[in-house]
Amino acid sequence: MTIAELVRDAALAALEPVGYSADECLKCNVCNTVCPVARVTDLFPGPKYVGPQAARFRVGRTLPIGAPGTPKILSPDLTVDWCSGCGCCTAACPAGVKVAEMNSQSRARMKAGKLPKLRDWGLGQTDLTGRLGVLFSPLANWALHNRPVRRVMELAVGIHHEAPFPRFSKRTFQSAWKRRQKRLGVTTIPGPEEAVVYFHGCSVNYYEPDVAAAAIAVLERNGYQVIVPPQVCCGLPLISNGIYGEARQNAHKNLEILAGYARKGYKIVGTSTSCTHTIKAEYREMLDIRDDDATVVADATWDICEFLLDLHDRGKLDSSFGRLDEDLPYHAPCQLRSHGIGMPALDLFALVPGLRARDMDHDCCGIAGTYGMKKEKYPIAMAVGAPLFEKVRASGATEAACDSETCRWQIQAASGVRTRHPVEILQSAYLAGDAAGDAVEGGAIAAGDGSSAA
Amino acid sequence: MPNADVVVVGAGVSGLTAALAAAEAGARVQVLAKGHTGTHWGSGGFDVAGLPGAATPRAGLRALAGRPGHPYAHLQGDVDPALEWIRTILTAEGLTYEGGLDSPLQAAPTSIGGTRPVAILPTAQAAGARPWTAGERLLVCGITGFKDFWPDAIAAGLSHPGVWGGGSRPDRVDAVTVELPGLAARHNLSAVELARRFDDAGWRAAAIDKIAAAVGGGGAGAGPGRVALPAVLGLNDHAAVFDELRRRLPLQPFELPLVPPSVPGMRLYFALRAALIRMGGRVRIGESIASVARDGKRVTAVATEAAARTSTVRAGALVLATGGIAGGGIVADNAGHLHETVLDLPIEAPEVADWLSRDAFDPDGHPLEAAGIRADAELRPVDRSGRPVFENVRVVGSMLAGQRSLHERCRDGVAIASGRRAGRALVAAKGPAAAPSAPAGSAKR
Repeated sequence: MTIAELVRDAALAALEPVGYSADECLKCNVCNTVCPVARVTDLFPGPKYVGPQAARFRVGRTLPIGAPGTPKILSPDLTVDWCSGCGCCTAACPAGVKVAEMNSQSRARMKAGKLPKLRDWGLGQTDLTGRLGVLFSPLANWALHNRPVRRVMELAVGIHHEAPFPRFSKRTFQSAWKRRQKRLGVTTIPGPEEAVVYFHGCSVNYYEPDVAAAAIAVLERNGYQVIVPPQVCCGLPLISNGIYGEARQNAHKNLEILAGYARKGYKIVGTSTSCTHTIKAEYREMLDIRDDDATVVADATWDICEFLLDLHDRGKLDSSFGRLDEDLPYHAPCQLRSHGIGMPALDLFALVPGLRARDMDHDCCGIAGTYGMKKEKYPIAMAVGAPLFEKVRASGATEAACDSETCRWQIQAASGVRTRHPVEILQSAYLAGDAAGDAVEGGAIAAGDGSSAA
Repeated sequence: MPNADVVVVGAGVSGLTAALAAAEAGARVQVLAKGHTGTHWGSGGFDVAGLPGAATPRAGLRALAGRPGHPYAHLQGDVDPALEWIRTILTAEGLTYEGGLDSPLQAAPTSIGGTRPVAILPTAQAAGARPWTAGERLLVCGITGFKDFWPDAIAAGLSHPGVWGGGSRPDRVDAVTVELPGLAARHNLSAVELARRFDDAGWRAAAIDKIAAAVGGGGAGAGPGRVALPAVLGLNDHAAVFDELRRRLPLQPFELPLVPPSVPGMRLYFALRAALIRMGGRVRIGESIASVARDGKRVTAVATEAAARTSTVRAGALVLATGGIAGGGIVADNAGHLHETVLDLPIEAPEVADWLSRDAFDPDGHPLEAAGIRADAELRPVDRSGRPVFENVRVVGSMLAGQRSLHERCRDGVAIASGRRAGRALVAAKGPAAAPSAPAGSAKR
């Protein structure tokens, strides 16, 4: 069998229903040893207790969560709400129990039929808060970075006053993109060999247009035009807050738009590793959406570093990276681990001359999406990530890299080191290459400097 | 996709040892493992050949090497250098061991109140296995709220002269339980949680005050003696914790390994992993092998299950360290057929009717225990006629056929000797040559 055949055979064998994997649990407690939350607080007994152990006592698991007729049974262990959903337990389990997934579903079941807390509901509404924030961005940015306002916010809705929040953009990425396409007079869409669909996610749409700019520049440099269809929040913040019904609505909206492209053979590339994982895995596994659309879209979806590394592997990545002479601490976020694709960003960084990228080798930064923003969970999130922040600071580097937006915000706020998406680093390397090409002499001297970092 | 000169499947003792040996020889190594078992379920010590009746591990090793088909038949000469090599690596990571192949087998107490024959133990466990002198007593010290360690039951068990197998034993065995600071309200403490608390220097100082008071006033009278504590004496800062206990307790402390998850086993895992990463290796936990690409008798790539697709690592060679039946590397179907889970290699095993001995406690164990992959002297898997099935695959540790490690107590000796041989052989066979113009397995440091 060739490698190509092997990749083609990738179709995941039917995903194991999460709940039934509890039967595989041997009670070995390995999951409890790797839980970052249980490591720092007594409030959470550990994933085994609230996961496979308690799962035996939860009924109605065969019905989709929130479906009519789902019995409203109290969770046998309410502490499941302290689970951050990082997924370390699922990765460490030698028996294949989907512990973290079980915990997310248990949380949703616990909350089903009840009105969510205003705060939890609000944290799930990334599109709504994003739109409002962009519309009133000067006011919103002032308020979110004003201590008294944040104190009031903490008292009123329970969002910790120190929780990291980025600044709202002046306009959404969607509207900026439409302007650009109009200005450039783009009317035709090339075929799937020359274009990819970009799933930007909420962080890019409302807060981080620079990530999109870098991603688009890198994709275009490699011969791909970028298509940006209308899209809504992937739904992960809703899933994490146990609001499955609304998450499912978001999923269906996205699937309806993306399935058309996927069926035509377009790849869907995302810069938010948590959005891409949600589309790849959680629509089916957590939200139980089992139609064709979910499968074709999942199969077509790629995290951007995964996509670029695949290009490189097929000899199609433009590797004219210039020299970036710097130390770059890198944190692999939890959602990336759940992709099961290793650390493609590190493999890409290895192509950049002079770049000394180093895995910080820490399990979780603590934020876990919206978890660490909550008043009661902020201290836990900070304790979970503390060793990482210290390593990043101690590296002496001026910037760090991480694939996931909330992790970047957390690392940057807690370590004081500017933290960027890997694709931004790659774009900097391309620009450095261009600059060196323009000034040939300088480039030659720089390139002659042997690396002593090995 | 990333490239690796050597892909190791399995992150137990044999897998990490093979990875270290290959990385040390200059190979780019990726370890892919489904989860933690080998280390986290073990005692952290090295069983080499704890054969009942053998005076030393060396005598046991010779006896096992003489058994037809036993892995030691090929590996006997590797055991000494392999153990010395791994101990050097572990010492550099702050984890020290005591004992050797020529020290007499001793009866080390266990946390269910029995003993087991041992030779090479982590320093913190070693004091429990030294010969007892006349008049020496043993105090078993438990912790209130910690349910994996029952001092009274352990002391009762160890009070029976029979459990010491006729060797030296303590003059008397007593039990004491101590309440540690801040844990009065806790009824379900775990070993790992306690170990992390011991890592905290401030808490540790207060805890050792309490232990010292309880041990000193144990009511067992004065005199020389030792105190057995549960193996929770620090996780990341174990050496400092144990040193402080040794200095401050009136009795000589030692650790008794516990039920999983094993703190000494985790220390071993962390040390092996840290050494490997220092050598440029990568470890990926949570990966299941979906398929393996091959070209004739060579493995060329390994695909792991990933969200929505598989993730592929191009492999110059593969080490199979999936842990045999206990580790999940060999599974049985309902019809009584055994399957090797990664490459579907031929398995050497008795017929299903002969899997088990009539006597559940047969001193020779059950025939099924010896099931595994038959390998040649280079550790390549072979078919029934003895021809290698793959040129660039090596089989290590509990996957090797012909051992009954539960009864022969040879698991770690086989794992370390075979792992080192496999890792070195694969690099020697191919040289640390890079695969064509593709990204390195890790950022060069």
